[in-house]
Amino acid sequence: MLELRSVSLQRDGNEIIKDLSAEFREGHVYAVLGNNGVGKSTLAYIIMGLESYRNYSGSVVFDGQAIDDLTVSERAKLGITLGWQEPCRFDGITVKEYLTLGGKREVPSERLIGVLDIVGLPKDYLFRTVDSSLSGGERKRIELASVILIEPNVVVLDEPDSGIDLMSTSMINRVFDALSDSGTTLIVITHREEIAGMAEEAYLMCGGNMIKNGDPEEIIAYYRTACDDCRHVNEPLKKVN
Amino acid sequence: MALATKYEREFKMISDAYEKSGGDASKFLNKDIVSVIVSGDKLIGRNTVEGVDLRFRQIEDGVELWIEIRDNVRLKQPIHLCTGFMKEKGRQMILIHNRCGRNSEVRFLSHCVFPNGLEFTHKMIADTEVGEDSKLSYEDVHFHSDTGGVSVEATYNTLLRRGAEFGNYFNLTQGRVGKLRVKMKVDLQEDSSAQIESKVYERADDDVHITEELNLNGERASGLARTIVFATDKSKATIINRAYGNAPYSRAHIECKEIIKGDEVNVGTVPVLFVRDEKAELTHEASIGRVNLRQLETLMAKGLNEDEATEMIIRGLLR
Repeated sequence: MLELRSVSLQRDGNEIIKDLSAEFREGHVYAVLGNNGVGKSTLAYIIMGLESYRNYSGSVVFDGQAIDDLTVSERAKLGITLGWQEPCRFDGITVKEYLTLGGKREVPSERLIGVLDIVGLPKDYLFRTVDSSLSGGERKRIELASVILIEPNVVVLDEPDSGIDLMSTSMINRVFDALSDSGTTLIVITHREEIAGMAEEAYLMCGGNMIKNGDPEEIIAYYRTACDDCRHVNEPLKKVN
Repeated sequence: MALATKYEREFKMISDAYEKSGGDASKFLNKDIVSVIVSGDKLIGRNTVEGVDLRFRQIEDGVELWIEIRDNVRLKQPIHLCTGFMKEKGRQMILIHNRCGRNSEVRFLSHCVFPNGLEFTHKMIADTEVGEDSKLSYEDVHFHSDTGGVSVEATYNTLLRRGAEFGNYFNLTQGRVGKLRVKMKVDLQEDSSAQIESKVYERADDDVHITEELNLNGERASGLARTIVFATDKSKATIINRAYGNAPYSRAHIECKEIIKGDEVNVGTVPVLFVRDEKAELTHEASIGRVNLRQLETLMAKGLNEDEATEMIIRGLLR
């Protein structure tokens, strides 16, 4: 469904992503595990086609077609979306407007309330504003709710648990279930083993490349031994696979 | 509401335009709500309640109004002012004198509707005095024609007595702006506070000049002056936000955000801060640029195109 073929990206003279290849099959849940600074969020932005990340080399392929020339909107129309690590504030826009894209998407009230329930927010949040009156954690939950409503073909969830307390792992599980139920391919970017453990398959990322992939338990075990104390950011480890 | 029979048709037209601009015209007919309706150069309807005195007189091309809120009056419902001009060409002059007594609380909701203006000039001067420990807010929403032929000069001069709280909000985000000159000036005595704010959405060759000024004359007076302009096409905007810290422990923040779309807009902002007392503290913040890319891409990643995402962000900001 989604493939990254020898993708590389340089920013400010630094090679952030280095000849990275990966494959994500339809309807599966993947974790991309790695320490902070190894290029995980950059990978998410490349997949989404954000303006400042379009000058990569290599190719992003969706359903057999290269989508490198497509803008963010065009990729979104193919059913690719992104759950942001730190969702923006939007002055004057209510949660309901955010979830329905200002009314452009017709969503029954029961569905909106149901999705808020999945992310652990009561229905009165629909009328709150997505600005600084909401905490980072609350905006994160709303971001996850918006992704569920899109029912995307592919979603990259960038650190879905950041800003949300540890007790909410069950909420993250509910979000994954809701997305899986709609047949979404999940690419979950994380540095937390518990979150990676929820995936069906995992990639380990280091120094801008995928250095290992396979069963999440094995990847987590390797991560624990090799990566925990590693201060590695932009120098790739020796490729394991 | 006292409404002369001969003005019923005019009232209907004004009401329709008022509703289009977001107002609720049914409030005009409610005897428990203070309301004033001016059409062209005539006062066509008015109503008042206990504690609020209304006077008016005809002047050349318009109406002069005196609205006095007595001491210890707290109005639960806003005072509704509607100023309309239904013809295409002409001039309208509105002079308003608001005086709010001590320990009172009132909110003004003013709508200026000029849906057919082609060569039309509206001048308004509102002089307001807010008494000790009173709260007054004045929200002025404009709705202009799509021709760009409306010219507005709106001047607000306000004096805040000790401990008074004041808000002045100008909003012109529907229809074309045409030519707009807004001047808001607030003189603040001790322990008083003010928030003044203008929000404008410019299209085509609209031309905007806004000056907001806070004079912090009393100890511990505080204020916020904020302008948000969305300028598109070939529009022009000059925004001047000024604050004068003239007294100890006075504080103010001025802020201007101009968001632009297109290569032919011409916008500028001038923040002016003067401190005349070493214990005063003034700050400013200004930005000119396109819509925040991160916000734009957030909405685009959810399926909106760039124009739709821009519109949604701007509508939120200008609310």
